Amino acid sequence: MEFCEVDVSIQMFAELFVHTLGFWWIILPAMLLGLIVGAIPGFSAANTIIILLPLTFAMEVEQGIVFMVALYASSRMGAGIPAILVNIPGTAGAAATPLDGYPMARAGLGQQALAMSFVASTAGGLLTTIIALIAMPWLAQVAFFMHSVEMIVVMLFGISLIATIAAKNTLKGLIAGLLGLMIGAVGTDFVYETPRATFGFLELYDGIPLVPALVGLFAVSEAFLVIEGESILTRRGKELMANPSWQATFEGVRMCAKRWWHVIWCSLIGLVIGVIPGAGASIASFVAYQQSRSFSKTPELYGTGHPEGLIAPESANNGVTSGTLVPLMVIGLPGGATAAIMLVVLEFHGVNFGPQLFSEQPEIGFGIFMAMAVTYLLMIFTILPLSRYMTKVTIVSTAFMAPVIISFTLVGSFVPREFGFDMGLALGFGVLGYIARRTNYHVAAILIGIILGPLLEGFFLRAIRMANGDLGVLFSSNIGNALWVALVVTVALPYLLDYLRKRRRQQKTM
Amino acid sequence: MLDETEADRPRKRALGAELVIPVGALVFTLYYFYTILESPWTAQASAFFIGTILIVLVLIFIGLTFRWVAKGEGDWSFHTLFEPHDYVKIRLGLLALTVGYIAVISFLGFTITTFLFLVLAMLLLNRGRRAKLSLTLAAILSVGGYLLFIVAFDTNFPEGPFEFLMNGIL
Repeated sequence: MEFCEVDVSIQMFAELFVHTLGFWWIILPAMLLGLIVGAIPGFSAANTIIILLPLTFAMEVEQGIVFMVALYASSRMGAGIPAILVNIPGTAGAAATPLDGYPMARAGLGQQALAMSFVASTAGGLLTTIIALIAMPWLAQVAFFMHSVEMIVVMLFGISLIATIAAKNTLKGLIAGLLGLMIGAVGTDFVYETPRATFGFLELYDGIPLVPALVGLFAVSEAFLVIEGESILTRRGKELMANPSWQATFEGVRMCAKRWWHVIWCSLIGLVIGVIPGAGASIASFVAYQQSRSFSKTPELYGTGHPEGLIAPESANNGVTSGTLVPLMVIGLPGGATAAIMLVVLEFHGVNFGPQLFSEQPEIGFGIFMAMAVTYLLMIFTILPLSRYMTKVTIVSTAFMAPVIISFTLVGSFVPREFGFDMGLALGFGVLGYIARRTNYHVAAILIGIILGPLLEGFFLRAIRMANGDLGVLFSSNIGNALWVALVVTVALPYLLDYLRKRRRQQKTM
Repeated sequence: MLDETEADRPRKRALGAELVIPVGALVFTLYYFYTILESPWTAQASAFFIGTILIVLVLIFIGLTFRWVAKGEGDWSFHTLFEPHDYVKIRLGLLALTVGYIAVISFLGFTITTFLFLVLAMLLLNRGRRAKLSLTLAAILSVGGYLLFIVAFDTNFPEGPFEFLMNGIL
């Protein structure tokens, strides 16, 4: 195969693989660091790379790339660990993970859940890395076809998860989701920067910061709830956790392997969304979860600890990781914050992005994806055996766990902007989350609104302004229209399937 | 104490508690509308669209609540927010400590404030028991946090006397 005047062969990839494997001494510490920063709310691969910029500048260019990529990929996986074990997503990209991961952990299946999450993340990451390597020139074109109109529909795919959540209690689900959308619209407007619902706080002019909302709705509210029990485990969960064994890890691997098609499908959703600049892991994981539930034969099990509900967001958010690097490498357009920082570091080293990169410096052009593949391979072998020990967290007494969760996550909410205000905001969201959980309003629905609401508004206003106020622009592109049809189908399909199932059952009983 | 028949009876929904979020959403939406009344349409469009739907849904929920109360399916109580009752004081204590943590951290810095918060919160949740373990854990976690986040990661955590002292020594 020929790409950008470079003969791409299996032998070349094999040599590159062995060459990248030689950087294990950089990959392993970066991986450990990535897992830690990914697991702590407020920290992210992006701001860790910023902190370590002097280090990456001082390294050789290849070493710097391997370090950044390993840290980036492992932070994605790390974010899922606290999401599963203690219901606290490390980053917004893992916000859909606790929906089914945490109920599994509470039921004493934390080890299986972690193993599933690791395998889904690795398989999703590896698969999308390989696809990205092969289909890079074509994938990069996706970014050119996704304009504001198409992005509106992509956002609506994610937001329609609110309706999915609302299926259990329609009115409450919709109220929670719409409240999230209203909260997400706090701050100055996109065009004239008029302040809206800021309560006079300058700190809210940029909108509601995501980390305090995430910390409050998930971590703080959870900490105030779990103190009622000795541990977070249910009675059955305690029985299962009394005799931990390696068997549970293998069972998790098996559960994930059995759903291989699900991993492929959801990681591809992540890859395509990752390629689109401005989209990201949070959108991908919500869209993948919603898609997974829509096409499931057992949609009613989602949210109760269903393996597919865990596999979907975990494979999707790792699919995003390689996706964000595609436009960066091919057209020099970063797909996300971390990719943007990588751009700065690589430009400092004199790397010129674009198709010529693959012919002039293939060890960098292809090497960046190979570094990701090697990281995922090393990661699965090092982290999988640890799942048995990580689940011990679930048996820690809540009297010790709750204060640690509150203090460390509140400080985590201080880190991104260094405003003491954000810690108070996190506590405010904690109170909201506590009331919501106590009265059966889904905190995930509120969070989806807060994350996706402002993005949707931004794309909507841009599209409308470019069309001089003509709403018909929303249906003006072929890709957009195809996405609209897909959206309607996926939202309507579960209801249709449910109706057909009931009808078939009635016919059988007659 | 409840007699057996009363205890066996299914409990009514605490609709007062269930109304907290819808009423809060209603008040917030009205406040939002107030702040954008004189703004350009770009600031109003999506807020009016989403806000109006939210208000309609909240009004439907309030209407349904009156119906549920009339039918005897629920009452105006807030009991689900405060259950179990043994934990009300502990939960309020933890909330007060959390507010204190946020208020004091900018003066005392991460390490000292985290240590104090962890000790007091752990003692509160353990009802005064396991004091030695609480002290040890709080010390390990706060100093460990300092070493990991401030020393190793060079993160800008709130700094106070301990951090300034260590900056001078290191």
